[in-house]
Amino acid sequence: MSGPADTITFVFNGKTVNARPGDTVASALYRAGQRIFSRSFKYHRPRGLLCLAGKCPNCLMNVDGAPNVRTCMTPVRAGMRVTHQNAYPSLERDYLSVVQHFDWLMPVGWYYKTMTDPRVWHAAEPFVRRIAGLGTPPSPADISGNYEHAYSHADVAIIGGGPAGLAAAISEAANGREVAVVDDQPELGGHLRYSNFEGASLPDLVAQVQALSNVHVWKGCYCFGLYEGNLLGIVQPRCDPKTPERLMHLRAARVVVATGAYESPLLFPNNDLVGVMLSTAVLRLIHLHGIIPGKLAVIIGRSPLTEPVAADLRAAGIRIAATVAPESVVRAVGKAHVTAIETSDARHACDLVVMCGHRIPDAGLLHQGGASFEWNAAKGAFIPADLPAGVSAVGEVTGDSLRAAATLPPERDLAGKRTFVCLCSDVSSQDLVNAIDEGFDHIETLKRYTTTTMGPCQGRMCQLPAIGVCARQTNRSMEDTGVTTSRPPNPGVTLGALAGARHHPTRRTPMHYEHEAAGAVWLDMGEWKRPRYYQSAKGAGERQCVEQEYRAVRERVGLIDVSTLGKLDLKGRDVGKLLDKVYAGRFSDLRPGRTRYGVMCDEAGIMLDDGTVSRLADDHFFVTTTTGNLDFVFQWMKWWLVGTGWDVYITNLTSGLAAVNLAGPQAREVLKQLTDCDLSTAAFPYMACRIAPVAGVETILMRLGFVGETGWEIHFLAESGPDVWKALVAAGGKFDIRPFGIEAQRLLRLEKRHVIVGVDSDALTNPFETGMGWALKLDKEDFIGRSALRRLAGQPLHQKLAGFVMDEAVLPEDGAAIMIGGRLAGRVTSTRVSPLQGRAIGLAWVPAEVARDGAEVDVRVDGRLARARITEKVFYDPDGARLRM
Amino acid sequence: MSFLVRCPQCGARSVYEFRFGGEVKRRPAPDAPEAEWTHYIYNRANEAGVQKEWWFHRSGCRQWFQAVRNTVTNETVESFFPDETT
Repeated sequence: MSGPADTITFVFNGKTVNARPGDTVASALYRAGQRIFSRSFKYHRPRGLLCLAGKCPNCLMNVDGAPNVRTCMTPVRAGMRVTHQNAYPSLERDYLSVVQHFDWLMPVGWYYKTMTDPRVWHAAEPFVRRIAGLGTPPSPADISGNYEHAYSHADVAIIGGGPAGLAAAISEAANGREVAVVDDQPELGGHLRYSNFEGASLPDLVAQVQALSNVHVWKGCYCFGLYEGNLLGIVQPRCDPKTPERLMHLRAARVVVATGAYESPLLFPNNDLVGVMLSTAVLRLIHLHGIIPGKLAVIIGRSPLTEPVAADLRAAGIRIAATVAPESVVRAVGKAHVTAIETSDARHACDLVVMCGHRIPDAGLLHQGGASFEWNAAKGAFIPADLPAGVSAVGEVTGDSLRAAATLPPERDLAGKRTFVCLCSDVSSQDLVNAIDEGFDHIETLKRYTTTTMGPCQGRMCQLPAIGVCARQTNRSMEDTGVTTSRPPNPGVTLGALAGARHHPTRRTPMHYEHEAAGAVWLDMGEWKRPRYYQSAKGAGERQCVEQEYRAVRERVGLIDVSTLGKLDLKGRDVGKLLDKVYAGRFSDLRPGRTRYGVMCDEAGIMLDDGTVSRLADDHFFVTTTTGNLDFVFQWMKWWLVGTGWDVYITNLTSGLAAVNLAGPQAREVLKQLTDCDLSTAAFPYMACRIAPVAGVETILMRLGFVGETGWEIHFLAESGPDVWKALVAAGGKFDIRPFGIEAQRLLRLEKRHVIVGVDSDALTNPFETGMGWALKLDKEDFIGRSALRRLAGQPLHQKLAGFVMDEAVLPEDGAAIMIGGRLAGRVTSTRVSPLQGRAIGLAWVPAEVARDGAEVDVRVDGRLARARITEKVFYDPDGARLRM
Repeated sequence: MSFLVRCPQCGARSVYEFRFGGEVKRRPAPDAPEAEWTHYIYNRANEAGVQKEWWFHRSGCRQWFQAVRNTVTNETVESFFPDETT
């Protein structure tokens, strides 16, 4: 026993366990005397360590809140909390193990057969829900630290750090390549770490690899998938104390699979008893952890596989009761722990059964890459063939030095209710036989019906035995029976690793902290943070604040940050041509100093975006887009430029410029304090634009009226954002200026019936339906959508976006159903309570014949219908007189 | 989906850096018959094999280009900046 100085302690089921450095959770628990590590999925049979290689389901436990952790692959850490799963009250005494006496109630596929009547299901559901599944999902509070994603590249990625992988690394590195070696064990060496290997010395190999500067070694990391383009998914557990897992995306020019072979169990009755272990697991316990797992062993296996195992057991002081051939085993005996092996002619008492099992090439990655598999009877394995381009394999995964452990298909009848093929879901060979008799005689249907190979081990333990049973029972060869498909992730990956870090990128406008100081309540719009409204006083509600902001704009003056608008600067001789092509209106005839509204459609006549186009000079235009569509519009314009040879340069200034909208009857009085520009309507009419300094900062001024009042949209360099904002607020002080948020803006524009593309329209909306036919120039020689729009212009509309006013004082939700005569007829797109009307007003999709003044419709509000009246009029200032004042 | 697309300017990059622009099709003349426009707008060849496509290198040079891609293997056979919009 090591001294206290190098003892690591952790907690298992509330008790403190001592472990040594180098221990896994499983080896430490085994050393501490734990023998039952789990209870089986269906029958709650006791299960102990089997593979010790992360390939079987037997040691899955909850570690630090994460369920189904492979404890044999998890290095111990001080203070970790480990609890068992799927057993009540304890692993040693599990009341639900009574289930195995009712196995006649649960034949193969029993849930398909018994749960056909809804009444049966509803009666059984609460019980089934409670006992089904494995492990308990953690609540967010149980997860500490942050998951991460990282990206890496290599010339050659070698998966597996055993002798073949290390040799490949040395030779690739000698050729000057950047090499990444990924191995799931804490140290390099593969099977050399626990078994003798002639002709190679492990310390030498490892030292050689570690001396190479162009070889990067990822130890204790597992590769779960090989994807197109040689992209490898790799999980790196605990790369630092605060990161439970990091998911590495490793792209390699070439992938070398050197994953070796793993061992899988032999079939005989009670082959799942505690103390029945694979030979490699026993060797790992002895050589890696210094644990002697028994006193008297029976070895099941064929010569010459058994001899080196027997020698190692003897050297460790384990007596060997017998070495028996797999075919001669009648059954294992024991209640929980194995006590004897019965063969056809003898009974051998023992406390350990060592299976020299099938050796399976660990070829999941090759299978995912598209390799096929050929049966090799002498090797007793499916050998990968037809490797995909850029992928190669070395070592035991290619079938090198493998020998058959037992005859396949099996020669004798393997039916047996306790001969477990699939340990994950408790599927016995009898279950497979029954399923085949029921007609599920193809390996893929057999898999899906019985769930063999579909549990946590993903077929590693059960695939080959299941194919053997299927082949024998259907009188086919192993080759004809075939293999089931391996898909990533293999092994499984936590959702945390896939999800990655728990943070979102955030974009803040240049005036963000001004808003914060003014009490902004935030709204997330994509990545942007925008003020929803400003809390003017402590305890003020949203409705009250929004109405105050609304009144400021209608009666005095308000200021809103519109920096999130897409802003494109277009320069060149041919900008007008481009704009004429991508917008449905005409812009080549726009005079410098003027701004025009533009609608953009696709070739099918669907509205893509809208915005303003300002001509600042003959060859200089400034275009705004809706916040969410900027990238699309930028790409759309560049697309239609390809190959034209037109003189157009597009620069995205969205982040480079801040923008505000100053609006209200007093807007001019505020602005003229800060600029020399003549703001009178005669000099600066509605829909005009100027370049002029405001508060000493050069700006683009556009006289627009989205909210329905005299106002200017002002664009200027982002770094001047806070200064210009403060200057405007200060200049507006005597008019009681108020900053206003999205809510007030939406209400103000709704009273003007201004449509927001993407809110009031959708991916099937054309401009005629939203009443924007006026913005189209259908007689233009050519533009995107011309053909479709000209056709649509001559057709009757099916539906229209119409205004409505509620008859009573209720507020429907955005998206509420419009009903006519009790039938669904449309939906509300936007609705707010209008202080002007004293009622909820809004926009809604209604059948075209209903879209006329005074028509009555019903709107679903709070589960009942409320009467609304359609109106064709603009709710506020229908002639737009206030815009032109 | 994790294949590489070869940008004529930046070389082979992860497909996540790109926006797919669909098959390259010839845009009908403005006054072409309705059937021709309908075919252009709504129909796709959707070849199982080699086809010419539009791609935009969103996280790179931000240029549109055309790639001849095998839709079965996802291999970029060739890619180039086209001379004219087709």
